[in-house]
Amino acid sequence: MTVRSIDELEAALAGADYLPDRGLATALFLSLRLEKPVLLEGEAGVGKTEAAKALARVLGSRLIRLQCYEGLDVAHAVYEWNYSRQLLHIRAAQEGTVREEELFGPEFLIRRPLLEAVESPEQVVLLIDEIDRADEEFEAFLLEVLSDFQITIPEIGTISAAEHKPAVVLTSNRTRELHDALKRRCLYHWIGHPSLEREIDIVKVRVPGVPARLAAQAAAFVRGLRRLDLAKPPGVAETIDWARALTALGRQELDAEVVEQTLGSVLKYHEDLLAVRDVALQELVDEARAAR
Amino acid sequence: MADAVVRHVVTFGRVLREAGLEVGPGRLADALTGLDHVDLTRQDDVYWTLRQTLVARSEDLEAFDRAFRAWFLRAPTAPLRREAGGETVRLVRRATAEGKRPDERNGEGDKQSLGYSAEELLRDKDFATLSADEFGLVSKLMAELASSRPRRRSRRLRRDSRGRQLDMRRLVRASLATGGDAVERSARDRIHVPRKLVVICDVSGSMEAYSRALVLFLHALVGSGRGVEAFAFGTRLTRLTPDLRGRDPERALAEAAKRVVDWSGGTRIGASLKAFNDEWGRRALTRGAVVLVVSDGWEREDASLVGTEMARLSRQAYAVVWVNPLKGHPDYQPLAAGMRAALPSIDRFLPGHNLASLEELAEILSGIERRHAA
Repeated sequence: MTVRSIDELEAALAGADYLPDRGLATALFLSLRLEKPVLLEGEAGVGKTEAAKALARVLGSRLIRLQCYEGLDVAHAVYEWNYSRQLLHIRAAQEGTVREEELFGPEFLIRRPLLEAVESPEQVVLLIDEIDRADEEFEAFLLEVLSDFQITIPEIGTISAAEHKPAVVLTSNRTRELHDALKRRCLYHWIGHPSLEREIDIVKVRVPGVPARLAAQAAAFVRGLRRLDLAKPPGVAETIDWARALTALGRQELDAEVVEQTLGSVLKYHEDLLAVRDVALQELVDEARAAR
Repeated sequence: MADAVVRHVVTFGRVLREAGLEVGPGRLADALTGLDHVDLTRQDDVYWTLRQTLVARSEDLEAFDRAFRAWFLRAPTAPLRREAGGETVRLVRRATAEGKRPDERNGEGDKQSLGYSAEELLRDKDFATLSADEFGLVSKLMAELASSRPRRRSRRLRRDSRGRQLDMRRLVRASLATGGDAVERSARDRIHVPRKLVVICDVSGSMEAYSRALVLFLHALVGSGRGVEAFAFGTRLTRLTPDLRGRDPERALAEAAKRVVDWSGGTRIGASLKAFNDEWGRRALTRGAVVLVVSDGWEREDASLVGTEMARLSRQAYAVVWVNPLKGHPDYQPLAAGMRAALPSIDRFLPGHNLASLEELAEILSGIERRHAA
């Protein structure tokens, strides 16, 4: 679909089970309109990756995902030659009449996410996930690709994006600062934790069958946790996981006992678990139950 | 687009630049194009459009919000509440007493047995207690230490017959001639290059006994090759690298002293780190570097700034090492407010009060690994 306004995109994303706030909807909308990549930063679990997936669903486009990691290189991000096929091809030709151009042609190319995205005839959504995990040198390379959507393969030549440039979403958990040059290419949006009302809505959308009261209490409880000085404050992803667990247990609302039993799906660090158990659990439960 | 809007946005860009944001013409152009696509009567859409096109880092969001309020809403100063909102409540009660400043720093080197060589004795002697002769010897030993530098793997591959990756392109090409048989094994491997090393050294009064020795160490480090940058700070920050390029450490020391005018003044660690981050971090000096901060952590002003700036530093750096000479004392505890604020952002915390501990430091520097992100 073609998106004509922020409202339309917001509604379409909601239809795809993703409830963005106005800011995120604006960022994605502008990214499509200005044909610029959008860089999403925020704490872990606020839905950065989900945003790209939902965008692909809305646009009816294929999602191509490049998961970054330390040591990611061109052979895994862009392309690689299929060497075993090449060698077999030489063998099969018997009489030594294979020309080099033949051997380094498109049919022997293994396409990795970036090349795939650039080559695709239809518009795709390219998700470059956790870019902060890749090495800086890869970032510099990426900058080149994102500036003109071209990839040069020495043996073949330059491949440019067809009519439709891919819609590019980058995510970063901010384990390190990204290059300014890369940021300059991108729209920037910081995804914060959602408001209480929105978080409740998100839980209801993502956890089928969740009792309304439970959704509200779980969201309020997690919100309370975020106020504490935790090693890793829980994101929306954790609230959803937790609400799912509670629903599976058949709970209608929270109490200290069930929170104690299931807190592991919200807090992922031992110190955090201990701290909350010892200091704040009952208080937070009371607060959450009072919320609605 | 209406001229008035263009003028408005351009002026707003200037306001942001004054607030310290980097707003170039490219960003302004994006902002204007963006505004073309949204409903200008909807204030939140205008806000988001400007914010997403003009801001590139979360640290700048607050400044942006303030400027937006002042400029578009004509309601100056009160900062907007960020979505994350609310105050953080400390769960774990930490020692709140500021910690008493240790008045005395006695070296523990009085009771050694006589069986050790002079050099051996020197290794464990606190820098604060060295005589002039001993100091000379220490400076020689330091030069040896400084030659070990952290290295990183480059992405570039070089032909290497014992390399770990087969050079398949070369191999396939070579096989053309032999009908598909790989006669020669072509291999490549990553090359290793020295990692950048940035040293930020506290030369204020409380560090005086150690800064003399540490400047010698710095000199030796700078002499060890390219990619070493040294800074000194007291109440403010100065770049030391040029002073340390000469051959003579004693002169380098004198030069450094002259230039760091606040030698033996108070300490503003947070402000100095901020100056470093703003001026040098932004130019990517810290990126991928091992950063060595040498300080006792006695902050004269706001300790929370030390925490913020150290966090900023550690996000950019490959690894952060903090050397605190006071840590050499057996009953040391990081009670200084500045030190406490810095601890969460530090990968390795070392003493560096004598030669033996500098040896340890050199060893750690040569093999340091990035801490894995939580």
